[in-house]
Amino acid sequence: MNIYKYASPTMFYPLAGKMIPWFAIPAAILFAAGMYVGFFIAPTDFQQGDAYRIIFIHVPAAWMAMFLYVLMAIYAGVGWAFNARLASMMASAIAITGTIFTLLSLVTGALWGKPTWGTYWAWDARMTSTLILLFLYIGFISLQSAIDDTRRADRAGAVLALVGVINVPIIYFSVQWWNTLHQGATIRILGKPTIAPPMLAAMLIMLAACWLYSMAVVLIRVRCIILEREQNASRFAEVNA
Amino acid sequence: MNWPDLSMGGYGFYVWGSYIFALILFVWEIVSLKQRRRALRQQQREQQRSSSVSPSVLTGSANETTS
Repeated sequence: MNIYKYASPTMFYPLAGKMIPWFAIPAAILFAAGMYVGFFIAPTDFQQGDAYRIIFIHVPAAWMAMFLYVLMAIYAGVGWAFNARLASMMASAIAITGTIFTLLSLVTGALWGKPTWGTYWAWDARMTSTLILLFLYIGFISLQSAIDDTRRADRAGAVLALVGVINVPIIYFSVQWWNTLHQGATIRILGKPTIAPPMLAAMLIMLAACWLYSMAVVLIRVRCIILEREQNASRFAEVNA
Repeated sequence: MNWPDLSMGGYGFYVWGSYIFALILFVWEIVSLKQRRRALRQQQREQQRSSSVSPSVLTGSANETTS
């Protein structure tokens, strides 16, 4: 079997269709499991009370916002460099889901900030850089929709996405580089996490759920994009016949 | 199993507000995708009726216009 044939949108279309339930069903199960662990098993925090339970959605949303941006930039870059149409379509499909998670992380962060810090918003390094991430996503989507020629739109979007990647490490390290209001990382790559095990479990389960959810909706959206572009192509063929 | 305190120790607005907002976003995304797909299917059927050129996705033959 030649796996490269799936790089063609028409070949990928049915494969993507088959993959969707494999992401969507586990996503639903893990969301339910994460909420159960987060609300029924994880204890009340002695400092923040129950307000801390917002982190079970806030932290995964913030991670997804960053992961999806990097993934989108990689797909856009591959689409541009190798003239791979499917990769460009994937980048476009990821953009909206990335925007949703960025917005979710900002709103849940504000709702956590009010009871914990006494303010919904501060022009702190992490929040400001996350707001920039939201504008990058919106910029990518608007730029692509403003250009009629799809391949030119893909290339313009790729340039913006790749330049914007610089913002992701800025968000990630902002809590170390600047003295911010936002707290430091709860989970470190090296060293022990500074969080109780059930709280960590709830957060990781929700993260897995968010990943699976993202993959499912991105595949559904990329199928729409394939259909849209193919329809335009066949209409084009008709007009020029 | 202990049923959690629904008032969230006075933080109910913030905690439930966060999860309700998440739910709204996810539901909106799924519903708008379903609508987009339905509209595409509709267009596809119309196109198939009005012309002999069938959309290539269904027949499996790729036709490229741009490279």
